[in-house]
Amino acid sequence: MTPEENNDHKTTRRGFLELTLGWTTATAAVAASSAAAVRFLMPNVLYEPSARFKAGKPDEFADGSITFLDAERVFLLRKGNTFRCLSAVCTHLGCTVNETKTGYHCPCHGSVFDEQGKNVSGPAPKPLSWFLVTLSPDGRIVIDKNQVVPADKYLVI
Amino acid sequence: MDSESPRKLRILFVVLSLLVGVLVVVAYYKDEFRSWKVYQKQYIQDQIRRASTPQQKAIAEATPVEIHQILLPKLNRVDRCTTCHQAVEDPSYAGYPQPLAYHPNHDQHPFEKFGCTVCHRGQGRATTERGAHGGDDPLLPMKYIQASCAKCHEAADNPAAPMLARGAQIFYTVGCVGCHKLNGAGGSIGPELDHVGEHRSADWLKRHFLNPASVTPNSGMPPQHFSKPDLDAITLFMLSQTGESLGGFYTSMKVIPSAEEGRHLFETKGCIACHQLNGVGGKIGPALDNVAMRRSPEWIMQHFRDPRSVSPGSVMPKFGFTESQIRALTQFLLHLNDQKAALSIPSLMSPVERGRAVFRKYGCAGCHGPDGKGGVPNPNSKTGQLVPDLIHVGDGYTKKELIAFIRRGQHEIASLDPKKPAPPLYMPAWGDKIKPGEYQDLAAFLFSLKPKDDTGF
Amino acid sequence: MKPSFLQRTWEGFRDTRVGRSIFRVGLPGSNLEQARAMVSSFLLHMQPAKVSRRALKPTTTLGLGLISLFLLLILVGTGVLLMFYYVPGTDQAYATMKDLQYVVSAGLVVRNMHRWAAHLMVLFVMLHLCRVFFTGAYKAPREFNWNVGLGLFLLTLGLSFTGYLLPWDQLAFWAITVGANIASYAPIIGPKLKFMLLGGNVVGQSALTRFYALHVMVLPGITFLLLGIHLWRVRKDGGLAAPEMPVDLTESLETGSVPSNKTYGLMELAKGTSLQVGRDPEDEVFSWPHLIFRELLLFLAVVAVVLFLAIFFNAPLEGIANPIHPPNPAKAPWYFLGLQELVSYSAFWGGVVVPGCLVTALALLPYLDRSRKGVGRWFARERAVANTIFSLCLVAAIVFTLIGSFFRGPSWTWQVPWKTPAAAVSEEH
Repeated sequence: MTPEENNDHKTTRRGFLELTLGWTTATAAVAASSAAAVRFLMPNVLYEPSARFKAGKPDEFADGSITFLDAERVFLLRKGNTFRCLSAVCTHLGCTVNETKTGYHCPCHGSVFDEQGKNVSGPAPKPLSWFLVTLSPDGRIVIDKNQVVPADKYLVI
Repeated sequence: MDSESPRKLRILFVVLSLLVGVLVVVAYYKDEFRSWKVYQKQYIQDQIRRASTPQQKAIAEATPVEIHQILLPKLNRVDRCTTCHQAVEDPSYAGYPQPLAYHPNHDQHPFEKFGCTVCHRGQGRATTERGAHGGDDPLLPMKYIQASCAKCHEAADNPAAPMLARGAQIFYTVGCVGCHKLNGAGGSIGPELDHVGEHRSADWLKRHFLNPASVTPNSGMPPQHFSKPDLDAITLFMLSQTGESLGGFYTSMKVIPSAEEGRHLFETKGCIACHQLNGVGGKIGPALDNVAMRRSPEWIMQHFRDPRSVSPGSVMPKFGFTESQIRALTQFLLHLNDQKAALSIPSLMSPVERGRAVFRKYGCAGCHGPDGKGGVPNPNSKTGQLVPDLIHVGDGYTKKELIAFIRRGQHEIASLDPKKPAPPLYMPAWGDKIKPGEYQDLAAFLFSLKPKDDTGF
Repeated sequence: MKPSFLQRTWEGFRDTRVGRSIFRVGLPGSNLEQARAMVSSFLLHMQPAKVSRRALKPTTTLGLGLISLFLLLILVGTGVLLMFYYVPGTDQAYATMKDLQYVVSAGLVVRNMHRWAAHLMVLFVMLHLCRVFFTGAYKAPREFNWNVGLGLFLLTLGLSFTGYLLPWDQLAFWAITVGANIASYAPIIGPKLKFMLLGGNVVGQSALTRFYALHVMVLPGITFLLLGIHLWRVRKDGGLAAPEMPVDLTESLETGSVPSNKTYGLMELAKGTSLQVGRDPEDEVFSWPHLIFRELLLFLAVVAVVLFLAIFFNAPLEGIANPIHPPNPAKAPWYFLGLQELVSYSAFWGGVVVPGCLVTALALLPYLDRSRKGVGRWFARERAVANTIFSLCLVAAIVFTLIGSFFRGPSWTWQVPWKTPAAAVSEEH
């Protein structure tokens, strides 16, 4: 062993700085690696249906129809030349609502919504959401579930 | 921890910690800076520049930089091409340089249903240019893009893919199936071709056609003398043979029904009872040889749906064909002239004509030359290093003997020089592969090859 | 000395109630505290309170066992991360590899680290085995621990082999196909063994499921159990093998009585089961900080090497597994290429007799070689015969592996690595 090691108590200021630098860097590297591990776990792509999607050409939907798009869990409503899109996800605990003669009904806990998606009875705390409907440059209906709009906003074609 | 450790170890500690720290930073930068982000930012900048209203500008500015993908679970594909090719659906980007070019003509094949790699190949999951365009599954060159049509559409008579149709026609005319199996039919002298388009490049295929031995040592396949367009077409047809199973997904798609299907329908539904073709058939309805010149495809299709709607007073019944059957029959009628031999009705042909079809069907021309005229090299064979022609076959055999010989084949071909490798081509034993009726027709055809003015020996 | 910021932060935390409840000893100031720091910590108590200066010298063991352990830790860390994305299905496994490469943040570097650390671990476990042989450290009282180590070596091969299949690319598929067939050459049980391992006759979904279960659950579980025993036995068998070890431990263990007070730190110094007995105390230093600090340096070095490899060299990933188009030649993982080379001469001798005899000989070695001479010294003169035999076997293994790796081309014919064989240009038919 080096004689220096036996000289335990003579700590130079330089040795102290070296250790501080070493420990700081090592700690920073550990912190950065942990952050990288957390970032690793945040998915960059999803394998669920996209929140913004194309539903097809307007003439694929009949006048007055309410079409349930099952993969995306929305209703697409056509009236004349207007389109609207209503969420089929119950605002209570996320079940899929069914269409009824007077509106929508949730089978899980009995929430009832009217034709405008307003909660009329049951545990649901707020109305169903209406989503933004637009037309893509190539003439297809685009629904964006990230953008909630008032019930009276239509896409007019 | 300890300032007691010897200086050397402390220095080592600092160096190693810094090294690990630097490596972590390098790893971060390598991971974080990806080329697709550059393209996305360029596109967003472009959108901001083009924005005419403040609202559009706000939307463009709020566009997140993220990976875009088209999920095609039924095809087990994920196509992330639109991560860089963001303007494929925006006609205002027509003619832009890649990666921001607009993709014309995608009405029939919307991207959200087909993705990109079904037609273009390449690696859909990759997000780097090299990974997506090259690698194990490189992009299909645009010149050969029609090869992908064959995944769903008939190769033989697809008007939208003329090069593919031409390639298929060449394949079945020059007699490739004499030696190679495709879709379960064909000889076994050469390898099966069902997957050839999956692991061979266009370049390899072309070199192989022109001089097989240059890329496959010891190949017995004779060099093929194709014109340049023919070479491209047959290469394209080979590239279309990927053996890819697309499962049930495409059965729901509108597949263009083939003329071959129409021919089959025409025969089985008994159209010939009333209509004439090649001078054979009933005379209640008009002859159909030139119907393609007289009528538009729409007229023909409407006529099948309801004859009296376009031809008042017609006595032809409504057959109640499905739309797909109507398309098939129409295809058949439209193609009567272009591909008479391939699509004609066997029962209407003479035995010699049928025999010619048999000769073609089993690829005899591949070795014996078109119409048995010979000229195909078979190195080191005693017969002039050529596969024998068949012009005079009628002089040496009776029909019965000839059929027996074709059934039996001849595996051993006599060598010119016993020291050199044996001749690569031989006569396969056709046995029951050729059906009894076909043998009779084939013999009739082969006997007809003898020139009329030839008096023989 | 003025305490550093880190030191002050640490002391501040240590002084709280919570801090004291977790760390019984602060940063050691006195000799007693240095000893207590070791024995009162769960992670550190595996090691003795004091070590000989000899044990600290890098040339004594080259740190090979410790490097293997650190690689294993890296493998566990990266492996757990990979499990968050990996799907063990034949239709998805390869796709998740591509996602790791192209989409997941740091996905590529994590996979690369896992791959390179795995290869390095196989290598370093082998080197560790050689070190123990060449220093005669397998002799009494370490016979059993030698065999535990041998088990860990085989488990390492098993872990690497099962992990090899998981990417489900051509390399994986054919290496496992070849490897599993080598296993089937074992007499009587061979075919059944292969059948059970693959869950069928060919490598398919059942094989993938089984390999996955083995790779992430069964084999790591057994490995950690054996590793615990291995490390524990290193302590109980008297630490590192050293020349002129005085005692037969079995004797003192039987006669020794268990002290009632729990001053383990002192017990380490006083009781006759550790290497300190009969030693000059001047030759020893406290493990804290001398040993611990050196181990930390070694850990940093291992991480640096693995990280470097992972950043600059990508783990291989070939095309998706395709049972129709085998590559020519289809090769097993590199550590089995020696075996594959042997099998190409004779399936029975190469696949069964040679590896079987080697493993048996290694297992019986400490019971056959009972001489006490030459322990704890590299290439001791007294062990010339044993060392020569072992070296010959080692050289043979290396030569066969090199031949299998670099000198075998398509159809397992001879080729020289610097020349591309003609057949590689085209593999039609």
